[in-house]
Amino acid sequence: MSEDSESNVRLLVERVQRLEEENEKLRLELWRLKRKPSRVVGYMLLLLGALSLILSTSFSSLTFAFIGLGLTFWGALLLYIRPVRYVKQILLDSTVISTLTAIDRVLTELKYEGKAVYLPPRYLREVRGGTVFIPFEGANVVPPVEEVSEERVFLRNPNGICLTPPGLGLVNMYEEELGVVFARVDLNYLVNNLPRLFVEGLEAAENLEFDVENGVVRVKLAGSVYVSLCREAVNLSKVCRSIGCPLCSSIACALARASGKPVVIEKCVFSEDGRTIEACYRILKE
Amino acid sequence: MAFPMSFWDIGLWISVITIVLLITLELTTPYSGQVNLAIERRRLRQVALILTIIFMLTVAIRIYEILTKA
Repeated sequence: MSEDSESNVRLLVERVQRLEEENEKLRLELWRLKRKPSRVVGYMLLLLGALSLILSTSFSSLTFAFIGLGLTFWGALLLYIRPVRYVKQILLDSTVISTLTAIDRVLTELKYEGKAVYLPPRYLREVRGGTVFIPFEGANVVPPVEEVSEERVFLRNPNGICLTPPGLGLVNMYEEELGVVFARVDLNYLVNNLPRLFVEGLEAAENLEFDVENGVVRVKLAGSVYVSLCREAVNLSKVCRSIGCPLCSSIACALARASGKPVVIEKCVFSEDGRTIEACYRILKE
Repeated sequence: MAFPMSFWDIGLWISVITIVLLITLELTTPYSGQVNLAIERRRLRQVALILTIIFMLTVAIRIYEILTKA
């Protein structure tokens, strides 16, 4: 009886090992198939094109010449327009979401319930820096410049916490791409140039609309590459309702820099089809 | 052993390629919803514009030839 059970166990172990090996092979196969074969195709087209051009010269054939030119051209073009390096969106989202989760957990644990306020550059030592102040409670609480300029994380008067916004890197990149410092331009500049940058420059969205009215800025972002990240960030209540996801945060930073006044993210909602993000910002009066 | 294409054959080929590239460029614009294409659109635009200029040059040469013959 015990011999039988031992042989059964051995058989099962062998079977599990076989299945694991098969699983590993299938995983490698899946990765191989997921990879874009554009490089191989490019070189193949170039090779076939060159061959066809040689044949056209040997046989004086116009047809071969056209085929050869076409194949060579498309092969070279395919190799030329390939991106130098691209990152899959899922990888990007997975990298960012853990940082946002950490911020959310810290704020929840410390019981900070206030609405985050994005501070303009005059509160900071560096123009390209950024600080978001989260009061312990209440909304639209702006700390005095002297308190913030000491660059402490926890403030006592008013009670709150100063953090580096998740969209700071993005807003600095916008400035680099546009070749301006947002602190030296006005809101109109942002309204006119950010949509072009998002759609044409960074190809980060299909459309971006700004609507400025009485200190309230409504931003409508359609077909953004950050949609899946924003959808995940919705579950992080402290991040989504207060600080905002990296994209909303970057726009808040840009508004704070351009207006020179503190900015609050009032709300951030998804459209029914989940493709459009609508964010509402309020520029606070001091 | 001579290359069988004349200058005008190559001009015709360039014109077709230019049209195809310009249409591709328009269809892949982010405004038409193509934000997930893993290609360097700037380079594609560069190539399309260079070919357009070459095509316009061949047209200019053609016109010049017609005018000088007349």
